[in-house]
Order: sequence, then C-alpha cells, then structure tokens
Amino acid sequence: MVKSTYQPPPSALPPLPPGWTEHKAPTGHTYYYNAETKESTYKRPGVAPVAPIAAPAAAPIDPAMSSYVQHQMVPQINLSDPAVANAFMAQYGQQQLQQQGHRGGFGGGARGGFQARPRPQPVDKPRSKVAIPGCEPWILVYTKYGRRFAYNPVKNASYWRIPEKLMPAILELDTARIREKAEGKKPEQGGEDKQETRDAEKTGKPAGESEPEEAAHDYDSSEYEEVEVTDDEGAADDDQDQDGGMRKRQRTEEPSADDGPAEFTEADIAAQLAAMNAEYNDTEMGEGGAEWEEGDEGLPLSDEDARELFKDLLNDFRINPYSSWDKLLEEGKVFDDARYSILPTTKARKEVWEEWSRAKIQELKERRAKEEKKDPRIPYLAFLQEKATPKLYWPEFRRKYKREEPMKSTKLSDKDREKWYREHINRLKLPQATLKSDLKKLLESVPLSALNNQTMVSNLPAQVLADIRYISLDPKVRDPFVEAYIQGLGPPPEAGETAEQEDEAAKKAREERRKRERALEERERVVAEEKRRQEKKMQYERAKLREEEREIERAMHVGKKGLQSQLVGDKA
Amino acid sequence: MPAIRPASKRKPPPDGFEDIEEDLLIFSNKMKDAQNTPTDNIPKHQAQWPIFQIAHQRSRYVYELYYEKEAISKKLYDWLLKNGYADPMLIAKWKKQGYEKLCCLRCIQTKETNFNSTCVCRVPRAQLKEDQDVQCVSCGCRGCASTD
Repeated sequence: MVKSTYQPPPSALPPLPPGWTEHKAPTGHTYYYNAETKESTYKRPGVAPVAPIAAPAAAPIDPAMSSYVQHQMVPQINLSDPAVANAFMAQYGQQQLQQQGHRGGFGGGARGGFQARPRPQPVDKPRSKVAIPGCEPWILVYTKYGRRFAYNPVKNASYWRIPEKLMPAILELDTARIREKAEGKKPEQGGEDKQETRDAEKTGKPAGESEPEEAAHDYDSSEYEEVEVTDDEGAADDDQDQDGGMRKRQRTEEPSADDGPAEFTEADIAAQLAAMNAEYNDTEMGEGGAEWEEGDEGLPLSDEDARELFKDLLNDFRINPYSSWDKLLEEGKVFDDARYSILPTTKARKEVWEEWSRAKIQELKERRAKEEKKDPRIPYLAFLQEKATPKLYWPEFRRKYKREEPMKSTKLSDKDREKWYREHINRLKLPQATLKSDLKKLLESVPLSALNNQTMVSNLPAQVLADIRYISLDPKVRDPFVEAYIQGLGPPPEAGETAEQEDEAAKKAREERRKRERALEERERVVAEEKRRQEKKMQYERAKLREEEREIERAMHVGKKGLQSQLVGDKA
Repeated sequence: MPAIRPASKRKPPPDGFEDIEEDLLIFSNKMKDAQNTPTDNIPKHQAQWPIFQIAHQRSRYVYELYYEKEAISKKLYDWLLKNGYADPMLIAKWKKQGYEKLCCLRCIQTKETNFNSTCVCRVPRAQLKEDQDVQCVSCGCRGCASTD
C-alpha cells in the first residue's frame, strides 16, 4: 500500500509542541521545523506519542478519516499476495499520475507539467524473514505490504524476481506453510507467537491487530495506524488466502525466531529494500508505467476478466452509455471502486468504456425496436381524466399543469392537446347513459383478436386507451362496465392469435413478396399481350403477302386468249 | 428576423434526442456559465478560452456519437447541426487526415498570423523543445497535433 499524501487541515490537527513551526515546501508539502534542535521533518510532531491501543478507536473521529477512506478503496484486493501488491502499487502510482495530468478533457494529449513534481513514493518495510532450506545463505524477506524478495547476505544482493535455483525450495516452503495453516499450527514460530495467533483466530480478529509493540514504535504518526488497518483487511480474507497460493503475512518480529545469519539486521534489509524500491520505480517510469514486475507469480486476473470487471463497474454505476468519457471522469463516482484500478492505464479504461458503450447503445436500440411504439396520446388522455375539470378553460389548464410530463412531451402538438381537452370537457357534460353507450360502441369496434375474455382490464389494447370515449366515464363506473363487457366476449380466435404473434418483419417481407409477384404477373401479362399482338400482326402480314403473291401469280398467268382476257376483266 | 416559436409550437426533435438531451443540457448550462462569468481580471486573450473549449467538447460529443459510436441517426445528427449543438465546420476538419484532434478553426487560420503559419498548438509534441509547455493564444489548447 502506498502511503497517503493526504494531510488533514491544520485547524483540525492537535497543536504543535513548543519549539516547532509549520512551513510549506516549494513542492507544496508542509513540513515542520524545530528552531532549537535544528530538526525538520515531514511528519507532524505530536505532543506525545499516542498509545497504539487508543489510536484505532480514535481513528473514525479523526479528521484523517478521509485518508482512511482512501485506503478503503481497495478492500477486495488482497495485498498479502506479492503479485497483487506489486500490481496494485504500479496501478495506484499511475492512477495518481493520471489524475494529476488530466486536463478537463479538452483536445488531445495532455501536456501537463506534472512531471516536475516528485510523486509520492510507496514506503515499504521488511517485516519478516525466512531462511530458504537447501540454499543456505539465501533468505526470503517478507515486507510490510506482503511483497517478498530473495536476499543473499553474503553477496549482499537481493532480487524481487526469485532466482530460478531458489524456486523449488520456495515452492516447498509455501506448500509447507499452507499445510500448516490448514492444520492450524505454526511450528516454525515461537510458542508465544503461536499462542497469540490462536487467540487472534479464536476471537475472529484479524491477526494484525495484535501487532508486536516493536513495529508500532517505528511509527507514531496516525498514518501508520491507517496503513495497518487496510493491510489487515487484506490479510483477514482467510478464505482467499487458502486458495490460489495466497499467503498470509508472517508475523515473526523476533529475530530469534528466524535462523537467519546474525549479521543480517533489520536496518540491513531496510537499506536493501530502499535501493530496490528506487530501482523498481525507475524501471516503471522508463517503461511508461505500462509494465511492471510480477514477482514470482502470475497475475491473479486475466486481461479478459479485468475488462469484464470494469464493464460490470460501469453497469453497476448506471453510467449513461451516451455520455462522454470526460463526463465520467469529471463526476468521479467510479474512482472509489476497486474495480476501477484493475485496469492499469486510463487509456485501457477508455478503450473498454468505448467498447462497452457501443455494445450498450446497440442493445438499447434493439430493445427499443422490439418493444411496441407507445401511443403518446395514452398518457395525455390518462392525465386529462385525472386533472381536467369543466371549471378550467384550456389556457388556465395549460398554465396550471405546464410542468407535467404529458403536457410537455414534444410528441403531441399543442393544438391536438387543446382539441382533446375541449372535447373531453364537452363530453363530461353529457348524460351518463350516452357516455356508456359510446363506450360500448367503442368496445364493440375492437376486433375479437385484440379484446376478448382473456384480456385484463389493466391491460386493454391501445386502440381503446387512446380513445376519448374511454376516459369520459368515471373510472369507478367504467371499470366494472368494461369488465362485464369483457366477460361477455368469446375466447380469442386461434388464427388471430397466430397472426398477432407473427413477426412484423416477416409480415413485411411477405407483403413485399406479394407485391413483387403481383408486379411480375402484370409484367407477364403485358408481355404476353404484346407477343400475341405481334404474332397477329405477323400472321396478318403473312396473309397479305400470300394474297399479293397470288395476285401476281394470277397476273403472270397468261391464258390462250392472251391480252384479251385481261382487257375483258378490266372492262367487267 | 423570423419570429422565434415557442417550444410547444415547434416540431419535435427526431427520435433519440431524449437519450442525449441531458448531456446537451449540461453542456449548454456550462456554456451559459462561461458566457456570464466576468472577465475583468483575466488577460484579454484568455477571456474566450472557456467558450472555445466548451464548444469543442460539445462538437466532439456529437461527432463521436454519430461517427464513432453510431449511436444517433443521421436525421438527429443533421438536426443537431442545424440547431447549433455542434460546429459542422469543425467536424468537417476532424474528418480530414492530420486534423483529427483540431481544437478550433482559428488555430489553422494561417491568414490571421504574421508569418502565415498555424498556431503553436498544431506543432507535434515531438518537435517541441523538451518540457516546453505551450498553451495557444486563441483557445488555450495545449496541443492538438494528431500524433500527440
């Protein structure tokens, strides 16, 4: 866990002890200076170190509460697992970086000057060490945040990534420890420590609450307490610890409990850790923060899972898929959720968000297309029935209810509204018998497929609801009347039902097809007629030709009488 | 000037407007606020920065809804442009290569500058000096080159 940079407002803090003064560093941090001892510190000096037992009780009232809440952001992440802790630290650091650099979403890449300011460094401390059996000089060091590294005191070298040759031994160590935990005993540790663990487990308290005094003395600031609380929560998830090789932090503060080399002191490890931390941060910066060392174990979450989780987060917060990414960031509702920091970069988050919103919009579109179009008249008429009285003229009525939803909706024109209002008011003055007969007529006009003895009174067809005759009668009179009418009706016709169930699209397609067929028929008819006409014409032409040929033949035919016959023919 | 019709007499906006109405309302409120804030004690050239920025954001919102998310219909998109919810000229530039992130039209108006050049915010970050923090004069953009 990263140490919080939150500083409670000075007014709410206890007063400084005499001799101390408060100052602001050029970076914006406050620091404290003692003119007498020439001592300066970032930590606020208290009057006297608060007793560690009293501090947790005081924490909720403390103004540092918001800092506590910051730490609470990650309740689901179990920091006792080194891989998770590494991942979390890498993400958390970036998240802060990005929040600083965010520029109100205007334009393209942010060119903030945030790089100049040193970002808050996570402070980690060695917590316990275990000798690795089989590889003697090497020891495995656990840190306060549940990370661990291998350390060789002889060569004075340490590695976050466990060297290959130590791997089998460490695995063995881990399995042994898990088995011990399952059995409920810890033979490696001292008897006193064992007792303590049992007690803690019996009372159901997280083991970290009974921290040895030694550790608590290192920090007397409130921050230490807050860090502890979160850390314990991570460790308290026992069921998570059991599976997946997640490890509970070992609480072996007494150096005597370990069989590490004598020259290996706490300060030694601390120095190592500091050096490694610096290195770790350097590489992280160099790679643009996209990658980080995983430690000796794989990621507990796959990329796919992380994306899905982020989408769940968006769903849970009911983010409007039509809104922009900037709005999401500006509102800042999602930052407090642990799932927000599962994805390492804002870029990745934006990508997932984009994908999600596109899918969501598509889904909404489909759903809307599926559900039937609601007649805008229905809510308006229902509203009229409720509110309209003959005492108000239309302008008065409109002015009085202009804020109401049915009066504002843009789907209806004002003219129509006025028309229906006047009509409704006029109808209210008619005698009940007329209204009843009108309603009966209306109900009779509805086909049996829409209105039958299976119809519920609360679920009448839109055809009825959108009619002015339906609202003229008082509901107290109308509902029993309609119910009685419905009961007198027959069952729904089978064919009608199937027709109703048919898809709109299928209907449309069929219609289209019928149209096409009809067009084809028409065309065929025309073509056939044309053909017939042409044929007729051809026959006629042929006949004509034959006739002419015959005539010519006749003319060519010269009889014995020679030209005389022709002349006779002409004369005749 | 034609008479401005009251909302009740106007034609209703195309379908799908209800989905984005709220966000557009937020934008218009922001714009109103920006227009009404006094500019007495800020430099003269900075007075219009928020206006430009909000106009950009709103145009971008509409642009993304139509071209990237495909969330609104062509009809609604045209209606939005016609009713001034987005700047069609700016959107036209965004469709061109090299102008995908353009902040405002004034920043590419070379005729308005002394050396016939575009604004400094159009310069890719790689070509700027190390740690050179620019903010352009016309709209306060910190860089809108496509490669950034």
